[in-house]
This record gives sequence, structure tokens and C-alpha cells, in this order.
Amino acid sequence: MVKRLDDKLFDSFVYLILIICGLAAILPILYVISVSITPFGEVLRNGGFILFPREITFTAYRTLLTESNIPQAFKITIWITVIGTAVNLILTSLMAYPLSRKNLPARNFFLLMIVFTLLFSGGIIPTYLVVKSVGLLDSIWAMILPNAVWSFNVLIMKSFFEGLPEELFESARMDGAKEFRILIQIVTPLSIPVLLTVGLFYLVGHWNEFFQAIFYVTDRTLFPLQVIVRELLMQSQQPLENAENMMPTQTMQMAAVMIASVPVIVIYPFLQKHFTKGMLLGSIKG
Amino acid sequence: MRKSLSILLSVTLLIVMLSACSGGNNSKNTGTAPTNTEKPSAPASQAPTEASNKTIKLEIIETGNNLPAPDKDSIKQELDKALNIDLNLTVYPSGDDYTNQLNVRMASGNFPDLFMLSRQQLLQFSKQGLLLDLTPYMDQLQKTIDFIGEETVKKGMVDGKVYAISKSPQIPYNTYWIRKDWLDTLKLDVPKTIEELAEVAEAFTKNDPDGNSKQDTFGLTGGKLSAFAPVFGAFGVGSPGNFYVKDGAVLNALYDPAMKDALAFIKQMISSGSVDPELLANTGLQHQEKSIKGQAGIVHIDWPNMTKEQFVEQIKTVNPNAEWLQIEAPVGPGGQNDSSWDIGATAGRFAIPKAIEKDPEKLQRVFDLLNYISDPDGGSLLVQFGVKDTHFTLEDGTLKMTDKAGEVGHSWLYQFTGRPEMEYLQAKFALQSESIKFANDQKRIEALNGFIDIPEGFNAADADRFIEEEIAKFVYDKRPLTEYEDFLKTLETSMNYTLLLDSAKEQLNQLGFGS
Repeated sequence: MVKRLDDKLFDSFVYLILIICGLAAILPILYVISVSITPFGEVLRNGGFILFPREITFTAYRTLLTESNIPQAFKITIWITVIGTAVNLILTSLMAYPLSRKNLPARNFFLLMIVFTLLFSGGIIPTYLVVKSVGLLDSIWAMILPNAVWSFNVLIMKSFFEGLPEELFESARMDGAKEFRILIQIVTPLSIPVLLTVGLFYLVGHWNEFFQAIFYVTDRTLFPLQVIVRELLMQSQQPLENAENMMPTQTMQMAAVMIASVPVIVIYPFLQKHFTKGMLLGSIKG
Repeated sequence: MRKSLSILLSVTLLIVMLSACSGGNNSKNTGTAPTNTEKPSAPASQAPTEASNKTIKLEIIETGNNLPAPDKDSIKQELDKALNIDLNLTVYPSGDDYTNQLNVRMASGNFPDLFMLSRQQLLQFSKQGLLLDLTPYMDQLQKTIDFIGEETVKKGMVDGKVYAISKSPQIPYNTYWIRKDWLDTLKLDVPKTIEELAEVAEAFTKNDPDGNSKQDTFGLTGGKLSAFAPVFGAFGVGSPGNFYVKDGAVLNALYDPAMKDALAFIKQMISSGSVDPELLANTGLQHQEKSIKGQAGIVHIDWPNMTKEQFVEQIKTVNPNAEWLQIEAPVGPGGQNDSSWDIGATAGRFAIPKAIEKDPEKLQRVFDLLNYISDPDGGSLLVQFGVKDTHFTLEDGTLKMTDKAGEVGHSWLYQFTGRPEMEYLQAKFALQSESIKFANDQKRIEALNGFIDIPEGFNAADADRFIEEEIAKFVYDKRPLTEYEDFLKTLETSMNYTLLLDSAKEQLNQLGFGS
């Protein structure tokens, strides 16, 4: 088939737009990477803007990884992310499974209860009071338990479970399986896409943990990565408060940004195919 | 997406709740009152003598950054040892985060034992009865008072009662800095008057001072309108919004007859193209970056950001010949004043929650801490310079920092009562000592804003924004200066500025200014 001229025009127009969008996404990352591995003097000589480094140094990374609070914060963040996501997935699926069964007594009531929390929340101070009264303040669990279940994800999982063929459950039941066995041996293996999707939501949320840390934690050794990175970045945006305040150079700041974002950037491509599939799951059946 | 929405929602809720609190003080008071009456019996029944040597955990929060982990924090360890406490200091780099944290904790009754607060918060919390009235405890805080001075104690007062300990006074850091090597290249002299300043700025913009045959430089930069602070000063005017005494009366800078002349002069400078075109968009330290990168030749900035080794090194890497010179404020029709200096302001103040009254032992430790860090024979040197013989040495009365001083670069975070500013800076910044003195010796207009409490019904943030916007219009020739009186009228009527003016005058007269 021979393409007509206006088709070609249209195609090149589409490509042009896609290239612009692509560049808009890639250039900032490229800039951050380049600045983070260029000596700061070199950055300054170029008026602060560098896309391709001519000189490469990893001193900023070395300093951050040996002399700052970042290694400790990194450990905390990994802990929160791994344990937190595990807790999230277990609790979310335990909640979503019964709700997906049509024969659950008072199903509508429970559903309403969950949807309600999507729209309304207690606000910061009441939540703080709850966290305080259960003694979670200043502990690592304060960053995991208050958001252990995200109702939106429960609904996504519920819809997925509802989409599984009813016959599977019947046959399992005929073979004598109880609900727990059905969930673990039948439903879970079939639900990998949705688990990965929801898991990714949770994982990114934990990785970016910031607000709960700021509110509930005062112990510096428990601060997660984002809090520390923000501290590094904020300093240069504030006018001088004290003469002895050491300001991190731009190179240091960008290196910190890289350390904080690379792990998630690396994970994304591996999960993406499940992710797009999982995202559509909820939309087919409400 | 969903998460940011819920955060937005909860923040809105918080604001609503807080405003509800400040609106209904009475309900707030009755809410906290029962807990106050219930508890005192509990500690009284315990044996006080037995417990006095147990380690007490003190929680302190403030804004700041670069606090090391506790095991690397030798100042914390020394304070713990000296006072038998377990000091848990938390610092928040962003003022907004800090305000959120403090509001949540005050509202939920989970009080820190000592915390930094703004004057506005001081008024609000003291009215709500959340702060400990320190007036009866003044004897116990004698060392602290001796250190900060009686005048500074007044800065923490509300209605004649002391609710906060303010830091000891600071000294001004800002002056104009100019590129000496650019002046030499263009064969110009250091500007002495504002006319010369304008000429030099124009030459820096148009005559290619860096010799790269490109018009890529400009004359003057700074953080927003503060770039012109010495120009305002040359007309004898404070920065917009300042209150000061002129000819024996309290005056607001906007109502100073010379204000219009100052604006006219600034307008002229801007229209000649010699001012940083992004001047009003400069945030944080962008003006410093521009100066280091060799884009601007004159900058109004503090000495640390120009002379600390870190920055000197950066300046030299960009251009080994670059030489920045600190200069006196230019002379104008109103004299010579390098910006205004708020003599009522304090670098920070700390308050103690009322709830701590129930625990006299803990309260005593907080007092001990404040006294200890204020005591020249006690811990004052510790929170200034670190551990003796490790971070500094003292020989025949002269203090010298050792090469380990870098470990205690965060010592300022522990200076809850401030420091003897000049001696401190001279010792800590021996290399910069000339610049420090120079900046301090500049003549300045004594602004009094720090003494003024914002009257109820006046929204300072809105008014300030309006003033900044309109002044920008005047100096950027978007609005003719003939309309200046109209601007003041709008300010008085729609922004309620009259309320502030009257209240400020009354408050300042009461303190003995201009009456």
C-alpha cells in the first residue's frame, strides 16, 4: 500500500509531537545525571547548565554515601518499602477477597465503609492522636501501619477477584478446599498481575515516604531517604540563616536526587507490562 | 494522584481546624483545662528526692539543618553528660514543615519540652494558654537573662509577661559587593554616590567588563528589591514596609516623603537595563549564584555567602582573576545608609509548654539547659565552638579553632539562647574578620518592625504581597509614579493598612519610640 502525502504529513507530525514529549521527559533526567557527575567548578564555568559532562567525577556520590546521613536513611527506606509493601499486600488481599464473594453477608455495608474512607478522612490531627495513643510515635511502624491499607487498591483487587471464573471456585470447593486454601492456592497464583500493580503502587508510595515521617518521627536515625534528600535540597533555596551553615553544592544535590530516584526507575521497566495490564483491570468491571 | 489529593484534603482540614481553634479560644481553654487539673497529683505522690538523679529525656524542636546522627554529635553527648539528660533535638529544614509539626503537636497535646516559635505563634499560643509563663521563674533563669540581656528578654514578652526566651542580638551581614577586577578593566572608580553606582552598573552591562565580546553581563543583582536597600538608604528611606523614627516621629517607609524619589531613581536604573532582568524572580541564593558565575558585577549580599572558603573557591574556579570588593553604601540626598536593620527582631525565640509545669523535675532540667548554654563558665563555649582541646584551643585568652572544627559545624543548632555575636564570628571566621567588621560598621536605618505585634484583622501576608506587586509596577514603569497616592489609598482601604499604621504607632510610642 502506498501512503498518501497527507498520511505522511500526519505521521511526521505525530512523530514530532512524540519526540518533543520524549525530550521533555528525558532532558531533565539527563541534566540531573550530568550535573551529579561533573565537578562543581566545571558546572559553574558553564553557567550552571550541562547536558553532556566533559569531566567525570564520582566524588559527590562518595561523599554522600560515606559522610552523610544517606546510608542510614537508605536502610530505613528499604526496610519500610519491603516490609511495608508485604504488609500492604497481605492485608489488602485479605480484605479484597471476602468482598469479592457475592455471598458475603452485609457485603454492601462493608463496601460502603471502604468507599467512605476514599472520600473522607479524619484529618491530620485526629490521625496524629490515634498514632500517638497506640504508641507508634517515633517508631518505624509509624511509617507503615497508618497507611497499611489503601482503600482504592482494595477496590482494584476486589474487581480483579470478581473477574475470576466462578467455576474455579466451585471445583475447588468440591475438592474440599476452604476459603483460605482457595485464596492462597487458587486466587493468588492467578492474580499475579493485579498483585504486581497494586504492589507497585504501594512500593512507590513507601519509597516516597515523607509526610508520615515528618509528622510521626523525631528520631533522626529513623528518617527515610526522602526527608534527608529534601533537607539537602531545601538548604540552597533558603536565604542564609546562619553563617556557619554549609551549603551542599549543586553537584551534591543532584547526586542525592539520583540516589533517591534510581532504584524506582530501575524497577519500573520490569514491572511495566504487568502494570499496564493491571491498570486496565478495574476498568472492565466496576 | 489519589494520594496527593488526600494530602491536600487533610491539609485543608487542618487549616480549617486550626482557624477554628484560634477563633474559639474559650472552647480550647476548657478543652485543655481538665487535663491540667487531673494530673498534678500524680508526680506529687512520687518521691522527688529519689528521682532527681535519673536521666531525663528532653525533646527540642526547631528549624535548621545538617544535624549529625546522635552518635556523631559530640555537642549532644557533652550536654547529656553535663546535665544528666538525654537531649533529643529534631530540626526541620523547611519552615512550613516545621509549622505543621508544631501546630499538630500543640493541638494534640504532645508537647516538645522546648521549641522555637515565631512572634505570631507566640501571641497565639500564649493566648490559648499553651505556654508556660516564665515571669515567676526569672530568678532561676538568671544566667540566661544575664547572657541575652534585659532588652532581649522584653522581646519574648506578651502583655508584660515573659513567655519566651529570645536569642541574643545579631549583627548585620549585608553590604554591596562589587567586582574590583571589572572596575579595573573598565578603568572606573569604586562608586561613592548613587549616581556613580548607576553609572558603574550601566558600564558593567554595556561595556563588556569580562572581555568576552558578548553582552552577557549586567550591573546589579540581589534578592528581589533588597538589591536596592542601600539606594533606599541613600534617600534616608527604609525598605518598603519598615517602620522607623524620623525627625522625632514614627514613620512608615511607604509614607516617607523621600520614598517617591527613591522609587524614581530605582526606576531610572532599571530602565537603563543595568539591573538583573530576573531580579524579582530571584529566590533563595540565586543572586549569589549569578555573582559567582560572573553574570553580575554588583550584588547586595551577606559576607558569608561571598567570603566563605567554599564560595571563594567557586569564584576562583569560574574566573581566577575575579575579585570581589566589599564597598560602603553609596551617598545620596538622604545620607548614607546600608539598608535597614530591624533592632526589634531576634534570630529566634524558644518557649516551654505549660504542660511541663506538672513535672517540676523536667522543668528544672530545661532551665538547667538554658542556663548551662548561656553560662560563659559553663557550656556556652561548648555550643559555640565544640569540645575544648578537641575542636578548639584556648591559650592566653585567645581562642583558636582546630582542624577538627568541621565536626561541630552544627553547633549553632544548640545555641538556643544565641551567642555573643561579634566575638563568636571573629573566632569562628578568622579569615573573614575584616568583612564582618566592615558590614557591622555600616550605618543603617534602625527599623522597629520587630517590636510591633500585628493587630487582629490585618492580614500581613496579603498586604506585603500587594505592596511588593505595586512597588514592582512603579519601578518597572508599568504604573506612573504620579499614581503613588492612589496606591496608598488602596492600601489603606482594601488592605486595612490604616489599622496597622495606627496600631504600630501606638505600640512604638508606648515603648518610647518617637514620642
